[in-house]
Amino acid sequence: MILGQFIILGAALFSLGVYGVLTRRNAVLVLLSVELMLAAVNINFVAFDTYARDVTAGGQIFSLFVIAVGAAEVGIGLAIVLLIFRNRESANVDELDLMKL
Amino acid sequence: MPNQYFGDYITVLVFMAVGAIIVGGAVVAASLLAPNHPNKTKSEIYECGINPVGGGWSQSHIRYYIFALLFLIFDVEAIFIFPWALKVESFAEAGMGGFIFVEMVIFIVILLLGLVYAIRKGVLRWE
Amino acid sequence: MIDYHALAPELILAGTVMAVLIVDMLPVRKHWTAVVGLLGLFATVVPILTLGFCESLDFCDYSGSREMFGGSYVIDAFSLALKGLFIGSAFVAVLLSVGYLESNRFWQGEFYFLMLASVLGALVMASSRDLVTMFVGLELVTGPTFLMAGWRKGEARSNEAALKFFIIGVLSAAVLLFGMSLVYGVTGELTFTGIRAGSVGVLDGDLSGLFIIGVLFTILGFAFKVSAVPFHFWTPDTYEGAPTPVTAYLSVISKTAGFVGLLAICYLAFGEVTTLWGTGLWVLAALSMTVGNLIALRQTNVVRLLGYSSIAQGGFILVPFGAAIAADVTGSDLEEAFFATVTYLVIYAFMNLGAFGVVIAVGNRLRSAEIKDWAGLFSYAPGLATMLGLFFFSLAGIPPLAGWFAKFVMFRSVLASGSGWAGALAVVAAVNSVIAFYYYSKVVVSAFMEKVPDGVPVAEIREQRTAPSLQFALVLTTIGVVVIGFYPTLISGLAEAAKTFASGF
Repeated sequence: MILGQFIILGAALFSLGVYGVLTRRNAVLVLLSVELMLAAVNINFVAFDTYARDVTAGGQIFSLFVIAVGAAEVGIGLAIVLLIFRNRESANVDELDLMKL
Repeated sequence: MPNQYFGDYITVLVFMAVGAIIVGGAVVAASLLAPNHPNKTKSEIYECGINPVGGGWSQSHIRYYIFALLFLIFDVEAIFIFPWALKVESFAEAGMGGFIFVEMVIFIVILLLGLVYAIRKGVLRWE
Repeated sequence: MIDYHALAPELILAGTVMAVLIVDMLPVRKHWTAVVGLLGLFATVVPILTLGFCESLDFCDYSGSREMFGGSYVIDAFSLALKGLFIGSAFVAVLLSVGYLESNRFWQGEFYFLMLASVLGALVMASSRDLVTMFVGLELVTGPTFLMAGWRKGEARSNEAALKFFIIGVLSAAVLLFGMSLVYGVTGELTFTGIRAGSVGVLDGDLSGLFIIGVLFTILGFAFKVSAVPFHFWTPDTYEGAPTPVTAYLSVISKTAGFVGLLAICYLAFGEVTTLWGTGLWVLAALSMTVGNLIALRQTNVVRLLGYSSIAQGGFILVPFGAAIAADVTGSDLEEAFFATVTYLVIYAFMNLGAFGVVIAVGNRLRSAEIKDWAGLFSYAPGLATMLGLFFFSLAGIPPLAGWFAKFVMFRSVLASGSGWAGALAVVAAVNSVIAFYYYSKVVVSAFMEKVPDGVPVAEIREQRTAPSLQFALVLTTIGVVVIGFYPTLISGLAEAAKTFASGF
C-alpha cells in the first residue's frame, strides 16, 4: 500500500472543500463543501489506520465519529438554513450583512 | 511491489483510453454524418407531447426537509451499532454480556427519546 | 471496569438533560424545565465535591489515578476543578436565561435542553485525554450553541448570527479534524500520552512537515473556537445577534471549553514540541489583545464592546501559552503558565457572566444596548450601575477586584520564564491593559457622570424590578468578583491543585 497517494487525495479533497466554503454563496453548497472536507479527514484516518495496522483500530473508530458528528452538523445547518429561508426567501450567505465591523 | 502496483494502474489507463476513443469516435462520427437542421420547435422541452407550462423550479413542502433531517440523524446513528455488533460476542465470552447489552439498550433508549420528542411536537404528523 | 463514582458528574448531567426533555413533553408549565435543569446542576456538584475531597471521605475508595478506557478518560484535580467551574458558570447562565426567555415568549424546554447538553460536552472535554473524546466533547459543546444563537427565530440578526457562527464552527471543526488526522498519521496514536511518546524526535525525522502541519491545524481549529485574532471575525456578529444570555454562555463556557481543550492538547499531547505551539500562540496572543482592544475602542454598542473585550481577554488567557515559545522553558515555568491560565479562566467566568447579567438587566429596561443610551444610568438605577462599574473595572484589572489577581498571575508566569520573547509579550499585555482600561472606564464614566439622554422613561424604569433569578445571578457573580479580589488564595488553591496535571514536564 502506498500511503502517499492517500495523503495527496485527502489533501486535495480538503483543499477543494476549503475553496468551496470560501467561494460558494449558497449556504447549502457551503455545507456540501464542509462535508467534502470531512470526507478528506475520513480518508486520512482510514488510510493511516490501515497503514499503521493500528490494533485498536483507532483511526477507523474516529472516522465513524466524524461521520456521525458530520451528520448532526448537517442537521443543525439545514435547520438554520430553513429558518433563514423562511424569513428572507434566500439562502445566500453574502446577503447576510446586517452587522458589519 | 511498487512496479506491480503501477502496472495495475497502466491497465486502468489503457482501459480508460480505449473507452474515451470509442465514445469520442462515436460522437465525432455522429456530428460528421448526421444532417443538421436546427429550428425553434426542436429546442423546446419535450414532455409527453404537451407544451410545458410554468417555470422549471417547483417548491416542495418544508415538511419533506424535516423528515429528511430526522431520517438522516437516525440513519447515521446506526453506524455505532455495527462495531458493537462485531464485538458483542467477545464481550459475552468474557462474561460482560449483560453489561454490553445494557449499554446498547441505553443508547437506543436515548435515540427513542428523540423520536418520542419529535412525535410529541407533531413533526411527524402528515396532513 | 468502569468507575461509576468518577463518571457520576457526567452521568447525572446526562440524566438531567433527558429529564429536561421529558419534562418539556409533559403538560406542565415550561418553567419547570429550568427548575429541573438547575436541580440537576446542583446534583452534579455533589459527586464533584466527593471526588475532590476523596482522601478525607470514608466511603470513597481512592486508589491512585482514576483512569478509564485505556487512559483516554481521566478524572484528576485539573478536570475536577474545571468541571466545578463549568457547572458553576452553567448555573449562572441558566439563571440569566430564565427571565429573558419568559419575558419574550421563547421556546424554553429546548433551550435548557440544548444548554445543558452543551455543558455536558464541556465536562467531557475537561476529562478527555485522547483525540476522539476531545473532538466529540468539543462538538457537543458547539453543536447546541449554533441553535441557541438563532433562538430569536423571527429576527434577521439572530438568524444571521446563527448562520455565521455555524459556518465558522463547522469549518473550524473540519480544520481541527484534518490536523488531528495528520497527528494521528505521524504518531500512530490517539491518546495524548501516546502522541507525546510518539512525537519524540519527530521534528528531526522525515515526517516533520506533516507533523508541523498537523499541530498547527489542530491549534488553528481551537483558535477559531476561542476566537483568537485573526480567527475572530464571527465573534462580534454572533455575540450581537444572539440573545444576550446565549452570548454570555458563548463568551464564558464555550470559550473556556475551547481553552481547556487547548490546554490539554498543548501540554499533554504536544508536550515535546512546546516551541512549535508556543510560537503560534505567542502570535495569536499578541494579535488578539491588540486587535481586540483597538477595535473595542470604537464600539458604540455594549454587547459588541463586550464581544471585542472577550477577544482581548482571550488574548490575555493565551499569554501564558505564548511564554512557552523559548526553547529553554523548563517544567516549573510551564507549570506556572498552566496555573496562570486556569486562574484566569476561573476569574474571567465570574467577571464576564456578571457583566452580561448587567447588560441583560439594563437591556430589559432600556430596550437598548447602545452606550449613549446608558448615560446617567446611576441616577435612576444605582444598584445596576454600581455592578456595571464593578464588573467592568474587574475586567480592566483594577485592584482589589478579582480581575486584578488574574492579570497579576498572568504577568508573573510570563516574567518567571525570563526569556526575551516572553518579556516582549508581557510588554504587549501591559500596553493593552492600559487601552482596555480606557474603553471600560468610558462606559462606566458615562453611566455615572453624564446626564440622562432625552426619551429615557426614567420614572417607568424606576418602577421595574429585575427578575429574581437574574438578581440571584448578579449577587453570586458580584460576591465572586469581590471576594476573590480580596482573598485570591481561594481560587489559587484550586488552580494549584490543577497544576499537578502539568507536572509531567
